[in-house]
Amino acid sequence: MFKYLIKRVLWMIPMLIGISLISFFIMHLAPGDITNNESAFNPKASEESRQKLREMYNLDKPIIVQYGLWLKRMVTLDFGKSFASHQKPVFWQTKDADGNITEGLIQQALPITLMINLLGLAITLSLAIPLGIIAAHKYQGWQDRSITLFNFIGFSIPGFWLSLLLMYWLGVVNNWFPISGMHSLNYDTLDTWGKVKDTFSHLFLPVVIPSITGLAGITLFVKNGMLDVLQQDYITTARAKGLGERKVVYTHALRNALLPLITIIGLSIPGLIGGSVIAETIFAIPGMGKLFYDAVLMRDFPVVMGILTIGSALTLIGNLLADVAYAWADPRVRRGVAKA
Amino acid sequence: MSPLLLNLNIAISLSLALLIAGCSSSTDKQSQIDYNVSSPQVSGGTLINAMTGEPSGLISMIAGESASSAISSNIFNSLLKYDKNLELEGDLVEHWDISADQKTITFKLKPNLKWADKKPLTSADVLFTWQAVTDEKNASPYASDFLLVKKAETPDAQTFRVSYEQAYAPALDSWAGLQILPKHLLEGKDLHTTAFARSPVGSNYYKLDSWNHGEHLKLSRNANSVLGPAQIDNLITRIIPDNSAQFLELMADNIDLMGLDPIKYSRIIPARPELQKKLALYKELGNSYTYMGFNLKHKPFDDVRVRRAINYAIDKQEIIDGVYLGLGINIASPYKPGTRWSNPALTPYPYDPAKARALLKEAGFTDTNNDGTLERDGKPFSFEIITNQNKEREKSAVLIQRRLKEVGIDVQIRAIEWASFISRFIKTGDFDVVVLGWGLGLDPDQYNIWHSSQQAPGQFNFIGYNNPKIDKLLEQGRLELNPDKRMEIYHQFSATLLEDSPIIYLSAGYGLTAIHKRVKGIDDPAPPAGIGHNSQDWYIPQSLRRNEISAH
Repeated sequence: MFKYLIKRVLWMIPMLIGISLISFFIMHLAPGDITNNESAFNPKASEESRQKLREMYNLDKPIIVQYGLWLKRMVTLDFGKSFASHQKPVFWQTKDADGNITEGLIQQALPITLMINLLGLAITLSLAIPLGIIAAHKYQGWQDRSITLFNFIGFSIPGFWLSLLLMYWLGVVNNWFPISGMHSLNYDTLDTWGKVKDTFSHLFLPVVIPSITGLAGITLFVKNGMLDVLQQDYITTARAKGLGERKVVYTHALRNALLPLITIIGLSIPGLIGGSVIAETIFAIPGMGKLFYDAVLMRDFPVVMGILTIGSALTLIGNLLADVAYAWADPRVRRGVAKA
Repeated sequence: MSPLLLNLNIAISLSLALLIAGCSSSTDKQSQIDYNVSSPQVSGGTLINAMTGEPSGLISMIAGESASSAISSNIFNSLLKYDKNLELEGDLVEHWDISADQKTITFKLKPNLKWADKKPLTSADVLFTWQAVTDEKNASPYASDFLLVKKAETPDAQTFRVSYEQAYAPALDSWAGLQILPKHLLEGKDLHTTAFARSPVGSNYYKLDSWNHGEHLKLSRNANSVLGPAQIDNLITRIIPDNSAQFLELMADNIDLMGLDPIKYSRIIPARPELQKKLALYKELGNSYTYMGFNLKHKPFDDVRVRRAINYAIDKQEIIDGVYLGLGINIASPYKPGTRWSNPALTPYPYDPAKARALLKEAGFTDTNNDGTLERDGKPFSFEIITNQNKEREKSAVLIQRRLKEVGIDVQIRAIEWASFISRFIKTGDFDVVVLGWGLGLDPDQYNIWHSSQQAPGQFNFIGYNNPKIDKLLEQGRLELNPDKRMEIYHQFSATLLEDSPIIYLSAGYGLTAIHKRVKGIDDPAPPAGIGHNSQDWYIPQSLRRNEISAH
């Protein structure tokens, strides 16, 4: 197991270099650079000054040289500075000569995105697993039919539409929850409990709505897994031995039915880190999705590359953890009988 | 706005319209308040607005985007500014003198000017700012106007003098656009990385209080401003990228003002009495227009008869009514109507398909094979309109396509993402026809757009316009600092341009704004400078303030 781990970790280095190389070249295949953004189409701004900017950012050099410069910096874990956002550091904070600290763009956005997505995932799982079990257990019964109907609706409703509907109903008409943003304007004046309450009330809609729309898929996944397991011989054996239905379902079937969920969680890691452009835009949350999307549109290459690199690294680590978790949960994987 | 979000936004606007039509009752507690009551003008209170994008920094000569200058203009002053009739007046300067040869301008600063940190503001700060904007290592996008200054000097602390190689009329406008920075805080600093850009010290009515990344910027009144007190204590700008979310916040009383699209302005708000009760709607003519521009280096657009024919064949009023719901006007010159630079004698090309057909026939186009499309030299008259992914422009192109089909011209439309649009098509000149817009400054000089020398890749005469008469007028206009004489030159310029039709003016849209009725002191109808020209005089009566925010 240890040797396997070391091998997997070492493999990540060439993988990351490969990913960064492909990303860098694909990014430069799209026409345009930072000097072509909308504000640069201004007759007051001359071509000479745009050319100076291009030189300043090394955009006048061949792509392979630019990649070389980028890689040279990356070896020292220097993700560079954003072209667009007043040259803020891409990843982590820097300190200038006067002792002023400038926070990194990813440093600001990642915790917000992670928190929202982890909370969302927790809500989704805590609802999807019981619903999936009930649907499988009461297969073809009214419970299953209602859950299927719910899944159908969940799959069909566009997330942004549901978001607006709930923002209007809960925020404007009833004034129960804040509509957008992360904090109230008077956040700094609140006491600790007030701050906690304020943050949670702001997080409610952005966390709950994606959870509802994501619920349908996972519920169906759990239900199918459960149905699959319930038809296995060992379940029949358990039932034949006279074990109670509760014990059969919740002890013997459940654990095996939930194993594939580890894969699902592993696969959802890029989403947890990458954030969602639409949800973050609608709810005015300065997260990773919005940061990445804006950076791509503005051709802010250091930010795009920074997010891709950190995102790839975290995804590889996430996959590794998922595999380790799988091996831990399923003895067959540990013994090499089955593959994760 | 980005294309994906724009598409999304349209879907959202429609959903919102349906949603709002369906929900008739609101439990708005504030619906009982009468916002129309007249109250004494007392200073204080908080005004909250929203922006879709966050400024990158508040040194606008470096940042270059509109979000930055919208905020920084509350914090910094320029030497000059425009009054409500768009005439220049002193901002930091008391008066300015132009030498007899029009090459030297002497600015006399107002006495006892101070920065928000109480340090004196002198001509040394102005000189420092000029040096900063022209310094190569700062790579300011706006350096070109200031690089024309041959000599800048400060004879005394109150006087700043600039001399140009030759008279340069847009100079005054350029000094109205340059926000003066404090030398004592920025000398020796790298303007691209300095922390000052996120915690600036200025001289205007407001100073930056706090900036919560991705959330909001709070400005509070600058007690040391020598320009007089602003009425409202705090200005908070929230960053809300999505327009529909902004509108929900406006409905919920969480923001006080926002720019509207025509649907919200003319359909949604008028249909809801409780919104009408608390929101006042304002309409002002903006300083931009949408146009259809020909690539004049491509045939047959080098033929003025063809350009005029197309101009007659397009029904502009249909575009204004269909795309902008009537909230725009038809124009005949590239200047804001109502300002001195706009030539009142000019009238737009009327919709006249018969005349269009006659002109096309004169240019040699006939439908020889009776397929409905005109041909010349055996080739059908067919071209592609390209535009960026802007819904209004795309819809305008569709209406143009239909009208041109009626006179026998076959048109295809292609919408392209902005950065690709600029670098792949505009810079390379690889297009037939574009539908685009120009947002213009307040100075009438449009040398960069129309002069024949400005056609290199990356320059703004990308349609390849070349007219010696226009060149001469533009050169003259730049040398004339007398406003009345300048006006004559630009009236002639507009008339020549209209006759030559290198572009077709499609419409000049209105800027549409909703402002909460708790905010008083707004000029309606808006003067030429727009409703924001006197925002320092806006006030919120004591009884209509938000308690929870003005409390701290």
